[in-house]
Amino acid sequence: MAENGAKATVTLTIDGVEVTVPSGTRVIEAAEHVGVVVPRYCYHPGIPTRPAQCRMCLVEVEGRPKLEPSCTLQAADDMVVNTASDTARTARQSVIEFLLVNHPLDCPICDAAGQCMLQDYAYVTNQLESRVDEPKRIMGRDRISDDILYFADRCVICTRCVRFMRDVAEDDSLIVAQRGDKAYIDTFPGRELDNPFQGNIVDVCPVGALVHEDFVFKARSWDMDATASVCPGCPTGCNVTIDTKENQIVRVKPRHNAAVNSWWMCDYGRKHLVMTNRGVRAEVPLIRDGGGDGDDGGELRPVDWATALDWVAEKVAALGAPGGSAVVSPDASNENLFYLRTLLDRLGVADAAFRVPQGETAELPTVPTLKLRADRAANAAGAGFFGGRRADGPPDGPAGGALVVLDDELEGAGEDFGGSADFFLYLGTRLPGPARNADAVLPIATFAEMDGTFTNFENRVQRFHQALRPPGLARPGWMVLSRVLARLGDGEAVNDVRGAFERMAAQAPAFAGLTWDGIGLKGAPAAGSAAEAAGVAGPAEAGA
Amino acid sequence: MPGDVKVVERPRAESSYVRAAAKGMSITMRHLLSPNKKTQQYPDEKWELAPRTRGTHRMAVHEDGRAKCVACGLCPTVCPVNCIKLVPAEDESGERYAAIYEIDEFRCIFCGYCQEVCPVEAIHLGVHYENAEYSRERWVYDLERLVEQEHDVTALWDPQDPASQ
Ligand code: SF4
Ligand code: SF4
Ligand code: SF4
Ligand code: SF4
Ligand code: FES
Repeated sequence: MAENGAKATVTLTIDGVEVTVPSGTRVIEAAEHVGVVVPRYCYHPGIPTRPAQCRMCLVEVEGRPKLEPSCTLQAADDMVVNTASDTARTARQSVIEFLLVNHPLDCPICDAAGQCMLQDYAYVTNQLESRVDEPKRIMGRDRISDDILYFADRCVICTRCVRFMRDVAEDDSLIVAQRGDKAYIDTFPGRELDNPFQGNIVDVCPVGALVHEDFVFKARSWDMDATASVCPGCPTGCNVTIDTKENQIVRVKPRHNAAVNSWWMCDYGRKHLVMTNRGVRAEVPLIRDGGGDGDDGGELRPVDWATALDWVAEKVAALGAPGGSAVVSPDASNENLFYLRTLLDRLGVADAAFRVPQGETAELPTVPTLKLRADRAANAAGAGFFGGRRADGPPDGPAGGALVVLDDELEGAGEDFGGSADFFLYLGTRLPGPARNADAVLPIATFAEMDGTFTNFENRVQRFHQALRPPGLARPGWMVLSRVLARLGDGEAVNDVRGAFERMAAQAPAFAGLTWDGIGLKGAPAAGSAAEAAGVAGPAEAGA
Repeated sequence: MPGDVKVVERPRAESSYVRAAAKGMSITMRHLLSPNKKTQQYPDEKWELAPRTRGTHRMAVHEDGRAKCVACGLCPTVCPVNCIKLVPAEDESGERYAAIYEIDEFRCIFCGYCQEVCPVEAIHLGVHYENAEYSRERWVYDLERLVEQEHDVTALWDPQDPASQ
């Protein structure tokens, strides 16, 4: 069938295993289909250019006199590739020997140790001795941008960083200066590296040559726990991995998701994510139950959860449906918003205002879905699903009725905010001034301290997981609200996010048909969102 | 009354303590007068320890007095009882160093792994045994104290026979 026309697939043999791949696939990628990871430095799946310059990925192809770089070699029918033949191994070992000629081998103090491709390959190729007597050339370290350090001696000149900037970010301020053993990475003379996506060069660096200043000497790779999460910086919802050590976030790295952020994320997101967990937190439930001197007034006093929940449930039951208003955070998870909506419906509160801070936008030219968007909130779309109304300006309390606030900082609210409400319930991660007017304060966990989902700008529902322990008595919002509702005879108290998500999927049309496990680590579109995938953030319930 | 109690009559020669006491005294006298005394006059006389004795730690220093530790984190990682606390930091010249380095000698089992794993030969066990303290807290040795120790460091293996064959 394949005279001249392009065939859709090709079949080749790699290390004795036959594999069929789409034509045009490079051998290095085809090898991954059979579970063989060919060592590589210059090749990166997210960077389009393949200079085949590191020569680490050489493989033997039957019938060809010389070894071929598998990162550029196209898979072809009947090709027989051997990635582990003696010649291929020897070639790889020689490359490592060459790289180690001037390498400082300061793994004990290098931040890449344990996650370093030079360390790994030196180990597997068993290149233990050097045949060079000359002293190593020493170049020292340099600051390549205001937040990235460059340890020139550790660089293997794979040019991934230069090519990420040039070919992915379309910014040519990074270059390879000099040649041969004097080569190093630098900014173009007279230029500065100042790109909103430059942090990714640290992630693509296969060794410890590029290090974020915030991370230098912070943690050894084996001391960190990695948790799959989602960046809450903007509605794009880049998939990330949060590295934690001793209940602190020490590093954030992008996690590959072809539908959202490809291999990358922006620098704003990295910083923002770390900051979301800083600051003084609300740690204990507080209620204003009169504290002994009558039913009204009195101080907020700390109580245990059972007392707080009983009291709040009693209050809500007594109120009936007085109406009122609510202020919600567009950073709250879908589950938190769903449970809050259920409670608000009980109270007869229809309106839930959310305010979205705005910021500058930034685009990564070659990845259209990845853009730092002006909305600086993780889940404005989710807030929209649950009857939220986008608002501007400071919130004002209602005159009478119930007032419920979900984790809004209440910036700009008056000193007597909520004073005229019959019942003011504040659920928050922190305790800003106006929240002290509340009748009950329930401390909740930040997104990094619990499991949950966000809905991104194209209504893609994405899971994040608990990376940290919440401080004090703070607990996930859905856990707390499900208990208030359970005390009112509405559903069960849930302890597991699956239970919360299941109830949401059963009751909220936008989440119909989705399951926690079904969403997986890559997310799934909300019901009826396919049609509006163009980027409209808003309620998508209509079609479902 | 419970059953019958059997009363055994012993001959006087056996039940008297005089004989036994006299025998004991004679042994004491013999040792007292013997030239071959074994009692060690501690603390005036100290034990001589083998070079591979594993006792409390000592940190090696550079010529300028800085601890050699580069805060690589290998010893806290390898330590089977988790008794080493390390917080790495960057000094003025951009070098990595241990801002906090503490060993809880109470918890330490003196396995010597820390010395073996250290890439810069900084931490060592010591040929040392006099560790009495008035409080438990004093058993947590900080970097300053580890640097000040003066006793010999442990030889983990015999240089003539590194594989112990
Ligand atoms: S780059 Fe890799 S091999 Fe080089 S010092 Fe760092 S960890 Fe060691
Ligand atoms: S700094 Fe890292 S990514 Fe850039 S060329 Fe050197 S080794 Fe490659
Ligand atoms: S001797 Fe063993 S137990 Fe003691 S500190 Fe070293 S590694 Fe830990
Ligand atoms: S192994 Fe040596 S250099 Fe590394 S932290 Fe321990 S004492 Fe310091
Ligand atoms: S990965 Fe193929 S030559 Fe570098």
